Amino acid sequence: MAADLLVADRLTRVFGDRVAVRDLSLSVAAGEIVALLGPNGAGKTTTMRMLAGLILPTAGSIAIDRVPITPETADRARASVGLLTEAPGLWERLTVRVNLLTYARLQGLHYPEQAVSRVLEQVDVADRANDQAGKLSKGLKQRVALARALIHHPPIVLLDEPTSGLDPASARHVRDLIDGLRADGCAVLVSTHNLAEAEELADRIAILKTELLALDTTAALRHDGEDIRVLIEFADGTSETRTVNALPDVPGIVRDLVTAGKQIVRVVPDRRSLEDVYLSLVGEDS
Amino acid sequence: MNSGRILAVARKDAAELIRNPGATLPALAMVAGSLFPAFLVTVGAPMIAGRTLEESGAFADEAARAVGMMPELTGLAGTALIQAFVFHQFALLLMLVPVVAATALATHAVIGEKQARALEPLLATPISTVELLVAKCSTPFVFALALTWLAGALYIGGILVVGEPGVWRTILSARAFIMFVVLAPLVELATLQVSVIVSSRASDPRSAQQLTSLLILPITVVFIAQLMGSFVLTPGWLLAGCAALALINAVLLAIGVRVFERETILTRWR
Repeated sequence: MAADLLVADRLTRVFGDRVAVRDLSLSVAAGEIVALLGPNGAGKTTTMRMLAGLILPTAGSIAIDRVPITPETADRARASVGLLTEAPGLWERLTVRVNLLTYARLQGLHYPEQAVSRVLEQVDVADRANDQAGKLSKGLKQRVALARALIHHPPIVLLDEPTSGLDPASARHVRDLIDGLRADGCAVLVSTHNLAEAEELADRIAILKTELLALDTTAALRHDGEDIRVLIEFADGTSETRTVNALPDVPGIVRDLVTAGKQIVRVVPDRRSLEDVYLSLVGEDS
Repeated sequence: MNSGRILAVARKDAAELIRNPGATLPALAMVAGSLFPAFLVTVGAPMIAGRTLEESGAFADEAARAVGMMPELTGLAGTALIQAFVFHQFALLLMLVPVVAATALATHAVIGEKQARALEPLLATPISTVELLVAKCSTPFVFALALTWLAGALYIGGILVVGEPGVWRTILSARAFIMFVVLAPLVELATLQVSVIVSSRASDPRSAQQLTSLLILPITVVFIAQLMGSFVLTPGWLLAGCAALALINAVLLAIGVRVFERETILTRWR
C-alpha cells in the first residue's frame, strides 16, 4: 500500500465566531486522487489553504510528506505542495514563460529555464510560451496555472475547482493532466462541484459541509447503509424495484415472478447515483 | 531571508511596471511638474515681464536675508543671488517625486496582484511574508529613487543652461547631498510603506493613491513656509527631518509586517 503523503488529523478552523471547518480528518496516498465535494461555503477552500500551508488550523494537525506543518516548518512544507487556486491568477502583462520562470525561481530550482520548458511540454502549452498571459483563452490560462503548480515536481498537488468555467474540450484536457499525476505517483486532492468529474477522476470521494460527512470510494458511498436494490423490467413495459439483502437473493425473486406468470426482459441493479448520495448527505437545499 | 526569492518577485514587478503606463506616467509627470515652477519663476516670468528678477524686486529681500543662513549664496549678487535663492527653495519640490512615484508604483505593485488574484499562488510558494514585503517595496524603491535622481540631474542641468553663471554650483551643496542621498530615500521608504498598508485595504490603485497622496502635504507646507522667507531649510533642519523620518519608518515597518502576514492577506485583504 502506498504511503500517505498528506495527512490531516482533526482539523478545525475558526474565523472569529464562525467555524469554517470542524474536526476534519483525511489522508491522501501517493498515486491517489481524492475528490473534495461540498456546497458553496462548505469549507473546501479553507481546507485547501490549510493543507497547502497557507493558513494554520485553529486545532488539529497536518503532515505533508511526513513533516508536521507548524509556523516554523510552513515555508518548507509549501515547497512540497503544488496548489492550483480557483482563479488562474497569472500576471497578465507578462508572457507565459516569464510567469513560470518567476515561480521556478521562487521555488529555488537550479535550472529554471529547463524546468519551464519541461512543464510547458507537460501541459501542452509550449507553442504559446512567448504569448502574453492575458491574451490566452480561459482553458489555456488554466493549463498555465496548472504548469505553475507542477513546476517544482511537488509530491502533493491540491487543485481548487480545476475545470470550473472551462469548455468541455479544455476540461477534458485538464482532467487528462490530472489523471497523469496519479501515474506520476502524486497525491492529488481535487476540490470540485462537478460530481461526474469527481466520479471519473477520483479513487475516493470526500464530502464536506463544515464537517467531513463521508470519505470512501464511489462504489462504497453508493451502497453505504443501503440494501441492494434491483430494477425488474417486464415485457408489458412496466417495471418494479425490489430490495434484497444480498445478490444471491435475486434468482429466487426472478423465479417467483416467472412462476407467477410475469415475462421478465431485464433485471438490473438500481444503483443510487453519486448525486443521490451527495444530496442525501448535504441536504437538497445545498 | 532568501535574496533569490526577493529578486524573483522584484524582477517580475519591474517587468510589469515597464509594461504598465498607468503606473509609470504619473511618476514621469511628477518629474516634469516638479522641475517646471522653478524655471517659470526665475526665467519664464522675467522674460514675459521684460524685467530681470533684480529689477522687479521679487524675492530680493528674502534672498538677502537668506545669505546669512545659506553660506553657499555668499559671493553672489543681483539676479544671480535671487536665482540661486529661488532654485534652492524650489529644490524641495523635487522631494515630491519620491512621494508621487513611490505611491504610483507601489499601489500598482500591490493592488495589481490583488486585482489579478495572483497573491494566493504567490503565497503558496516558500516565500516568507517578510521577503514578500521587501520584494514588493524593492522595485518601486529603485524606480522612484532613479526618477528622483534623474529629476535632480535635470534640475542642475537646467540651471546650468538657463541660470546666471555660477548659480548651478551653489546647488551642489551639503544641503542637496542630504536632500537627495538621505532624505529622498527615507521619504520614499515611508511613502512605500504607507502605500502598501493602504493598498491592503483598497480595491483599486486610484483610491489608494488618493489616500497616500496626503503625504505631499507636509512637504508642501515646508516649501511654502520657506518660499515666504519665514524659514530656511538648513542642513541641520534636514538632518532633523531625516531622523524623524527614520523613526516613522520603523513604526511603519512594524505595521507593514503585520499587514503582510499570510493569513491577513488571504482572509482580510479586499
